[in-house]
Amino acid sequence: MSKEMISKKSKSPNLYPRKTKVQVTIIFALVLAMYVYSINFTAGQTNGGFANSLSNMGEVIKKFFPPNWSILPAIWEPMATTIQMAVIATTVAALLTIPLALLSAHNITTIKPLYYITRISLNILRTIPDLVLAVIFVGLFGVGVFPGILALIIFSLGILAKLFGETVEAVDMDPLEAMRASGANIFQVIYYGLVPQVLPQFTSFVLYVFEINIRASVVLGLVGAGGIGLTLDRELNFYNYPNAMMVIILIFVVVIIIEFISTKIREALI
Amino acid sequence: MIEFKNVGLVYPNGTEGLKNVNVKINDGEFVVIVGLSGAGKSTFIRSINRLVTPTSGELLVDGENILEHKGKNLRILRTKIGMIFQNYNLVRRSNVLKNVLAGRLGHVGTFRSILNLYPKEDVALAYENLKRVNIADKLYNRADELSGGQQQRVSIARVLTQQPKYILADEPVASLDPPTSHQVMTYLRKINKTDKITTIVNLHFIDMAMEYADRIIGMRAGEVVFDGPVSEVTDETFEEIYGRTIREDDLRGGASDQ
Repeated sequence: MSKEMISKKSKSPNLYPRKTKVQVTIIFALVLAMYVYSINFTAGQTNGGFANSLSNMGEVIKKFFPPNWSILPAIWEPMATTIQMAVIATTVAALLTIPLALLSAHNITTIKPLYYITRISLNILRTIPDLVLAVIFVGLFGVGVFPGILALIIFSLGILAKLFGETVEAVDMDPLEAMRASGANIFQVIYYGLVPQVLPQFTSFVLYVFEINIRASVVLGLVGAGGIGLTLDRELNFYNYPNAMMVIILIFVVVIIIEFISTKIREALI
Repeated sequence: MIEFKNVGLVYPNGTEGLKNVNVKINDGEFVVIVGLSGAGKSTFIRSINRLVTPTSGELLVDGENILEHKGKNLRILRTKIGMIFQNYNLVRRSNVLKNVLAGRLGHVGTFRSILNLYPKEDVALAYENLKRVNIADKLYNRADELSGGQQQRVSIARVLTQQPKYILADEPVASLDPPTSHQVMTYLRKINKTDKITTIVNLHFIDMAMEYADRIIGMRAGEVVFDGPVSEVTDETFEEIYGRTIREDDLRGGASDQ
């Protein structure tokens, strides 16, 4: 049919059904109304409205500058402690992940109850936020590095086992079958058939979790779990803003450097 | 010797993979199993090394009923039965030598193999076998750098390195082009004759079955419907096995270039 034959009056269908259009419009209107309401409400709660809090913010920020460079030598040590915490926690978690991930992969663990138990325990583990873990362990073991490391181990275990377990489930099972057929036992099948397939991803995940752990260990320090976070918390409590600023700058630089290196390595791996 | 005695296999979903199979395969034979896809060829072959487990009857390998085997006994059984697969089943990220050495896993202890401490003679054997299938120059190439035909030759070298008494090949040429298919079948045939390894091959190409087999077993719907030397086989035999007239795609074509 040529274009001329379609008269202007002939009905063309809508791109979406009318009902969908109405629904989407209502949802958007509701979301917009929520925003407007919460802006008004927040402004009402803030002393003197937004304008005042903005100028107040300016005042506080001014107090942070200039940072106190002279404390740099003194904060290297807690910074190093934070990195050490992340290294230890990531290493232990990486080792513990291997059996857990294999047990939570249905293609390797053919014993159903074992698979479900591991799955469920790992899911429960993942629901606990790292801060809560740190608060619990600080309560149990007192302020210091040890509870921080424990919190990080459990926190990273949840992430790693999930990521790694799913990688294991996605491998090509054919070579594993070939090894099983040649009389290899389960350890040999895993080591020869599975490990070469998942090693690059595994290394990449461990590095990624290491990045997360550096940042997390700073936050954990705030609740008393050792490292640079503890120093930052102390300086803030003493209203020693120039010192706190220096700590923040150091954390910023270290995190960026570590993330840069780790990202480069991960790019090379995959 | 492999002997099927009234072997039946019902899969958990109710499908009958094998129905009352009675077959005796003598040492040194080159047997080709033919049949349409779904006829039970794979189930037949995989029963012998217990990748699947028949649900009734007896399956004797060297006089032992293997249907009861589990754990260590099963692994010992599997070390004397090598297997070749349609998709080569190599570890794609590992190099050729390491893939071939994997054939020794059943013979080498867990610790030795995990630490890569293979006996010198095992490594020498792997290298010899790579030479036999004419691919020794790819020793350190990763398996995924090789063509399909080359990968299948590596998997033949792996099976040889296992030093099995039997070789099972499950559609070894289904993913290859005609010249490469003939090359692979020629290697299998040569190994059967020189090493006296009993070889059982699944094929659905009639012309290849006729060219390489000593004996043909025809299967349809889980049952053995023909069993005899290749000299007794005619076009009518295949029409009976397939339950229809022979078509162009039942033939691989491209006569052997070896």
